[in-house]
Amino acid sequence: MEPHIVKGNHPVMEKIFQICDRVAPTDSTVLIQGESGTGKELVARYIHARSRRANNPFIPVNCGAIPADLLESEMFGHEKGAFTGAVSARMGLFQYANGGTIFLDEIGEMTPALQVKLLRVLQEREIRPVGADRTIRVDVRVIAATNRDLSADVKSGRFREDLFYRLQVIPITIPPLRERRSDIPLLVQYFLDKHNSQRPGQPVRISDEAMVHLWEYDWPGNVRELENLVERLVILSEDGMIRVENLPSNIRTFISDKKIPRPTLTDEGIDLNRAVEEFEYRLIDEALRRTKGNKQAAARLLGLKRTTLVAKLRRKASSSDQGCVL
Amino acid sequence: MSDALKGRILVVDDDENAVEILTRMLAREGHTSVAASSGAQALETLRRENVDVILLDVMMPGMDGLEVCRQLREDERLRQIPVILLTAKDDMDTRTRAMELGVSEFLTKPVNRRELFTRIDAQLHARSLSRELSATVEKVLQPPTDPDGE
Repeated sequence: MEPHIVKGNHPVMEKIFQICDRVAPTDSTVLIQGESGTGKELVARYIHARSRRANNPFIPVNCGAIPADLLESEMFGHEKGAFTGAVSARMGLFQYANGGTIFLDEIGEMTPALQVKLLRVLQEREIRPVGADRTIRVDVRVIAATNRDLSADVKSGRFREDLFYRLQVIPITIPPLRERRSDIPLLVQYFLDKHNSQRPGQPVRISDEAMVHLWEYDWPGNVRELENLVERLVILSEDGMIRVENLPSNIRTFISDKKIPRPTLTDEGIDLNRAVEEFEYRLIDEALRRTKGNKQAAARLLGLKRTTLVAKLRRKASSSDQGCVL
Repeated sequence: MSDALKGRILVVDDDENAVEILTRMLAREGHTSVAASSGAQALETLRRENVDVILLDVMMPGMDGLEVCRQLREDERLRQIPVILLTAKDDMDTRTRAMELGVSEFLTKPVNRRELFTRIDAQLHARSLSRELSATVEKVLQPPTDPDGE
């Protein structure tokens, strides 16, 4: 079965799938990097589905979700009595994946001790269950993924360099959705079709204006966030049309926030006076733009006296081109 | 900003003043720039020079910014260069056309400086990813030398 996957038209996505198509039939280890929600597991499943292992298991393991002290026995299995609670011997996920593919997500969360053991598995193609004095040969393709900057973790000593190079035989980095914005309308349409087909009645459509709002939004949760929203909008739609009013408020206000972004308070702190000044200048610019430079009319829009506006403009000119441009 | 990616940016605007301000700001952030004062000149420059990002004004006499985008799309090499549209004209119709033409970012004038550089950085990041992926494509297209494929 081919996993559902949306390729996108962006040149970066074309390259990613060119690589996947090429490496799928080989047994090369692949390292997929990308922010949360960019579709790393979908890419891994795509590679598996096009490999000679397609009819064998695809086993996903979230290394960040399993407690560190349990991960080893989850992955490699254990013998009876290997540790307290190990009342019987148990197979590990590598054995379940035999002949197929194991997908090690959030590989950057793996402890250094387990990193050494994984490296040995990749080199020897055999595993040692916890508490066992024998090894078991396995035929498993490894695809790893992370949302961390693994090369930075290597530099800081958090991640083993030898394992990193062993994993990233074929490196694939998926860009966040905001860096391939031109794919957003295509994805919205794809998810609309997908969720429309799962329910009876007239298909739900989206207005141009609502589509523009989705296009301009930054999608911190990437494709997963987009799909969840489209699914919700389809389910909640009353008249078969998604309009701007139906969008969550953070997306509705995103376009205007982009013009006058909310100041963000960072850990280093901010200069409140400067932030307020920047905000003020931005509103003044907007007022002057709307009134085509008429200071009297701009002052009225801002609820200021003309002389106050002129004084502010003089101060603004002397603080050079901070804040707004053009 | 020091470890952010630096790029070569094409600034297209018929307003000399706007070009000058943008060019100066880009230089301060460590980017290099090349300027064009019309859509036609922009296309000519792009056929001759390599740039990483295009900052493109919409309202220009003759060929407007949207028409420039349309022509870029028809060229296999040029369509890969991200376009950031800068415009005072932010009606829904212009936004919709920009979206349909595959524009990477749409910013309305007056442009917020922080916003502009966040968007430029994002596009430069995507460009560098794209180059890394091209290198991987080259690598996987080579005939395997090791029977393990590794």
